[in-house]
Amino acid sequence: MNGFNITYIMKLSLKTASCAAGILLAIAACAPSTSEQASQQNNASAPQQGGSSEQIVLALSNSEFDDGFDPTLGWGRYGSPLFQSTLLRRNSELGFENDLATNYSVSADGKVWTVTIRNDARFSDGTPVTAEDVAFTFNKAGESGGKTDVTVLQAAIATSPTTVELRLKQPQSTFINRLATLGIVPKHAHNANYGRNPIGSGPYKLVQWDEGQQLIAEVNPDYYGDVPQIQRLVFLLVEEDAAFAAAKAGQAQVASVPQTLAVQSIDNMKLYDVKSVDNRGIMFPFVPDTGKTTPDGAAIGNDVTADLAIRQAINYGIDRKALVDGILEGYGSPAYGPVTGLPWEQKDADIEDGQIDRAKQILAEGGWSDKNNDGVVEKNGQPAEFTILYKAGDSIRQALALSVAEQIKPLGIRANVEGKSWDEIEPRMHSNVVVFGWGSQDPTEVYNLYHSKSAQGDFNNAGYYADSKIDNMLDLAVGAPTQEEAIAFWKAAQWDGQSGFTTKGDAAWAWLVNLDHTYFVNTCLDIGTPQVEPHGHGWPITANIAEWKWTCN
Amino acid sequence: MQLDIASFILRKLFRLVLLLIAVAIFSFVLISFSPIDPIDAYVGADMLQISPEQREIIAQRWGLDQPMMTRFVLWLRQLASGNLGMSMIFNQPVSAVIGSRFQTSLQMLAIAWFLSGALGLAMGVLAGARAGSWLDRAIRFYAYTLASSPTFWVALLLLIVFSVSLKVTPICCATPPGVLARDVTFWQRLHHLILPAATLSIIGVANIALHTRQKLIEVLNSDYVLFARAQGESLVGVIRHHGLRNIILPALTLQFASLSELFGGSVLAEQVFSYPGLGKATVEAALRSDVPLLVGIVFFSALFVYTGNTIADLTYQIVDPRIRVGRSA
Repeated sequence: MNGFNITYIMKLSLKTASCAAGILLAIAACAPSTSEQASQQNNASAPQQGGSSEQIVLALSNSEFDDGFDPTLGWGRYGSPLFQSTLLRRNSELGFENDLATNYSVSADGKVWTVTIRNDARFSDGTPVTAEDVAFTFNKAGESGGKTDVTVLQAAIATSPTTVELRLKQPQSTFINRLATLGIVPKHAHNANYGRNPIGSGPYKLVQWDEGQQLIAEVNPDYYGDVPQIQRLVFLLVEEDAAFAAAKAGQAQVASVPQTLAVQSIDNMKLYDVKSVDNRGIMFPFVPDTGKTTPDGAAIGNDVTADLAIRQAINYGIDRKALVDGILEGYGSPAYGPVTGLPWEQKDADIEDGQIDRAKQILAEGGWSDKNNDGVVEKNGQPAEFTILYKAGDSIRQALALSVAEQIKPLGIRANVEGKSWDEIEPRMHSNVVVFGWGSQDPTEVYNLYHSKSAQGDFNNAGYYADSKIDNMLDLAVGAPTQEEAIAFWKAAQWDGQSGFTTKGDAAWAWLVNLDHTYFVNTCLDIGTPQVEPHGHGWPITANIAEWKWTCN
Repeated sequence: MQLDIASFILRKLFRLVLLLIAVAIFSFVLISFSPIDPIDAYVGADMLQISPEQREIIAQRWGLDQPMMTRFVLWLRQLASGNLGMSMIFNQPVSAVIGSRFQTSLQMLAIAWFLSGALGLAMGVLAGARAGSWLDRAIRFYAYTLASSPTFWVALLLLIVFSVSLKVTPICCATPPGVLARDVTFWQRLHHLILPAATLSIIGVANIALHTRQKLIEVLNSDYVLFARAQGESLVGVIRHHGLRNIILPALTLQFASLSELFGGSVLAEQVFSYPGLGKATVEAALRSDVPLLVGIVFFSALFVYTGNTIADLTYQIVDPRIRVGRSA
């Protein structure tokens, strides 16, 4: 009850904040739109208003393009690589389909991936795509030092014009994600300037990139797949509030907007709220404070959150639905683990939350009680009090931190909330509770969140969670030869009936919500079925952009 | 005379070199204290998918595995051969980044600079000539208000009024969306830089107007003006023959000194209008710890401001015969 009230208050104050602080937001969200009609006339001079199958304008906030369009440096990790094509691709259910590849197989020991590719694919300069180019791309990505991680690759070798062998140092089931995200570059045309002059076999080719402003792409007539219907794409590189303004002014046909603006309506545009695994949760330091420090000298451990009863009680006590409704305007879903909606999600790990009595019972059984009647429970003289840190300036994280603190107060747990910048949070994040947001279509993230070996004093497993059973499961999952075989292990690590890192097991985190990614899309534009999107609101919507259709004349 | 100018320029150049060395050292020292980890900033939300091995490869690519001292020496050596290095976030030579971004900023800065100079001088003269009148009060009120307004706030106000409510100016960027570079007309460019340039000049006039006003009042209260008025010279005549000559020097100094403020202001204005100039690149470089780019921009702006001040020094000698180089007064 109390929780609901506070989130309602948060909702109100968030609204006022968006009116007062973000000025552009304010204009869009609060000012009555009086001169809408006049604007249409005034904008008549601007070219190509309204969109058509000839051209659409997309305002997706992101900074994806800063270093160009070179897949070996990480371009195309999510969303569409536009200018290049990948060996495999993810469908709307996040299963893998052949794209450039016609077949692939993994050796029994999991160390050799043999991929055959189609022979009719051509780069936009007319030369055919060969196994040599594929091998070059993987080898290059291994040494370039970009945002794509193929460090497990020993060598990629073309064994025939259409067959390539990817030899790994050790088996890695998650390697399939590289096959689906690494766009193939032409060996003969790849150099230091490639990122600004991408040549590839993708559905579109680059026409113009005005850095920091816009990206213009046109259909690649040589594309081997179904040629996209939309001839020309213009991406405006603007922030979320400017994207909303552009949509409102009729200048953009697709705009990514923050959840707080999704309640608005725009003429001729439809709101898509796309499910995502863009999660938010609070991380608990798992070990007690024994004076140990990280290599950088940061303290590790927290005596309160090291107690299983505290972590489980918080997980059961929080009302996630209230958080979704109050803070995200309903554009979100409860999160019980880090992989909601993905094929390797363990549904059995979900719990019924918002149970204050059950949470109190867990605390009592764990030895926590309020002996001095100050409203805070104690155990062995240690009061149940800790600090929740969140990234200052992020209104959603702030609201989550404050609401959680309010929701767990009735349990007798006192949480002090502090907003700090990341560089202030980093030295404190191994000994304090922190609001984090992650979410990836690649389960490697789960390994790095929970494996005891990942805890090295940085963001990977910041709470120093350690459970040998879970370590074992995660090792089995990564070491499995294929993703299908790995899924059972990923699920077991979450909860296998006896143990797991989710609430019923070790409750290493209290996952709170998954954000829906909200987009305004012109009613004439059919964007198909969007995937469950990863962390990062904007570019992921382009994953199936080659299939988009303009349905009006 | 020729020789004097040569030695003047040589001295100036020598000071410039010293300045740049100091700027380089300070920038490197400051950045080495920055808490922002460039690899974290680069990897961003994909942090949990990048293994420690991959982080090492990234660090090697950028030379971040070397200690700061070594990096500084390597950078100096590069600089000696005229190479400012590679920008980490744009994956492009620093000189290319600065070149293309400055080109975009230049038109905006030039317009703002001329407007604020000309308008500021005019307003200052008007206020000074009619000191105490309602016109003077109005101009002073405007100048004091604007001199104490933050640039980004003025920028946001203009954006709300002209772009969002009246919709006569664009919301962002330097060119209209979807138009190829070769098809962008001069008017479209102008249309997009009106608001950022107006922001900077609206604020820029305040300083020059107030100083000019003060100086003109001093001149008008002098004995020689009293004498001229006694001989029947009109107010306009006094200002033309005596006033302007006296106020032009401080105005020039301020005008060239304002280059640094203009440069600083452009960082904020460009951010608000998503105008992809040098100011925006500066913010990116600092927020993501792109050392080569940041030092390159600091270098460039030091050069820019220094050149401005030197030009001011040189123009004194053209404008005022009393302070020509080499002449003892």
